[in-house]
Amino acid sequence: MAAPVSIAHTHVHSLRIASGAEALVARVLAADGTAGFGFTLNLDAGVARDMAAWDALARAKGVPLFGLLGGSYRKEVRILTDELPAIPADWTALRQDILDGRHELLCIDPFAWGSVEMVQTIAAIANAFDLSIALLAPNAHPWELQYCAALAATLKGEDTRIIVRSMSSSSEIPVSESPGMGIDWAVEPSFSKIQWQS
Amino acid sequence: MVHAGSMYVIQKTERTVVELVLENGVTGLGETWGTPDVYALAQRFAREWIGKDALDRFALRDVVGKSSYDNRFGRNGMATLAGLDLAAWDAAARSLKMSLAELIGARKRESIDVVSTLPAAILPKAVSRKELTDHLDVLANTELVVRFAQEQVRKSGFRSFKLKSAAHSPEWDWKLLNELREAMPKARIRFDPNANYGAATATELCRRLDPLGLEFFEDPTGELEGIARLKAAVKTPVASNMWVVRDEHLVPAIRRKAIDVVLGDLFMWGGIDAWRRMARVTHAYGMKPALHSVYETGIATVANLHLASALSEVEYPNDSGLHFLSSDVVSENLKVVDGAMTLPTGPGLGVTLDRNKLDKVALESVEIRS
Repeated sequence: MAAPVSIAHTHVHSLRIASGAEALVARVLAADGTAGFGFTLNLDAGVARDMAAWDALARAKGVPLFGLLGGSYRKEVRILTDELPAIPADWTALRQDILDGRHELLCIDPFAWGSVEMVQTIAAIANAFDLSIALLAPNAHPWELQYCAALAATLKGEDTRIIVRSMSSSSEIPVSESPGMGIDWAVEPSFSKIQWQS
Repeated sequence: MVHAGSMYVIQKTERTVVELVLENGVTGLGETWGTPDVYALAQRFAREWIGKDALDRFALRDVVGKSSYDNRFGRNGMATLAGLDLAAWDAAARSLKMSLAELIGARKRESIDVVSTLPAAILPKAVSRKELTDHLDVLANTELVVRFAQEQVRKSGFRSFKLKSAAHSPEWDWKLLNELREAMPKARIRFDPNANYGAATATELCRRLDPLGLEFFEDPTGELEGIARLKAAVKTPVASNMWVVRDEHLVPAIRRKAIDVVLGDLFMWGGIDAWRRMARVTHAYGMKPALHSVYETGIATVANLHLASALSEVEYPNDSGLHFLSSDVVSENLKVVDGAMTLPTGPGLGVTLDRNKLDKVALESVEIRS
């Protein structure tokens, strides 16, 4: 389930962000002309393109991501500092480990699993097995936190949370009600300087 | 048509039809069971929904509580919720100018194969249990069911059938299924005695039926343990719409390797999102989700088409009983052609309520306003 949107054009751009790290930023142009954006700091453009397609669809429809996925379970998401390792993005191993009762809390790096659909599928399994989900924002970058918050809104479970490796200034992040993914692209000044292909 | 199975012999179906009107003027359609309990609950839940956001269907589920323990209304509550939830999904999809399939995830298929139910026996009118068993004692009467099936092939090109069984005698079912297989060598045939055979009888019967290559045995017995033992003893896939019907049934079924197919009924599962989650979990653990249905109007029939179109996990044909109903409540002429139904176009479900048709069959109606 990639975003059900007709895509006219996709462009991925490499970006140097303020921390000095490299980010990939994707822009998707929907057939109706709406632009959507996605990003990743792990250099797998797939997740950025998937995010941009959902962003384009949500903007075109004038709703936040949760408006496309069925609803929202929360208005804000807790952010906790934790060293809990992220579960390797190995679908076969994850299913078996869950079945074998090796997890209590699934620490999922949504950038490593590649798509909104994959996170939704893991969440459905977590719900069936009464497991909690933590979404890892690997670099605690504001974009990562905002993407995790948009996803976390749609995940069932009282314990749903975002994990960072070092304490951020806020221990809670609101779920955006704005159209799209709710990501504030302006926090990286270099974003506005990207020369997108027409 | 008279429907005869192990649970009832009926000549009509009663449904609750839901129209949900949003503040923006968009109307969503839903449908659920028509029992007095569900009809009353629908009014109660509808009152609680006034003023809430149709885009946030997760919050609308609060009427039945967070868990099965919290749900004081049992499966009537889940079915009622599913009927209103469907109307909310339809209204949301129409507001967003998306088809229901797209809002569920994608619109991958336009045509969905459907299954024709075969009554356990062909009767001229609804009869008493005694008259039914007398009829079933005459094994020559199986021929009537075979002729009925062949008529469905001629009329609508059906390739898939569900034989309801009254579970009166294994001899009747064995003879009839052999005759159906001989008459339609390539047809998919599912066999459904609604768990009215004991585990030992069912297992013995299903072992004998294995060489027929049926599509699956649907609730040949029950509960979960009985069906799991039966599954271990046969080669034909085993399905259930009775023992795996809620979130918390999935993991025991997975661990026990109890069934191959979760034949999920939208109204048992409590709505679109619950069904979608079920499909994902089922597929992830090597089972297959499929759409169960009884005699539903065009509204729920089309909802099931959208689910099958949207979720690639659905490979089996959809149950459907619409073609047996003498009337419908939607304007669209929903037909089975070559054994398949086509998704209507347009936003949401893509069907519209036909007031004249509804008025002709409506027993009661009530409007809930703020």
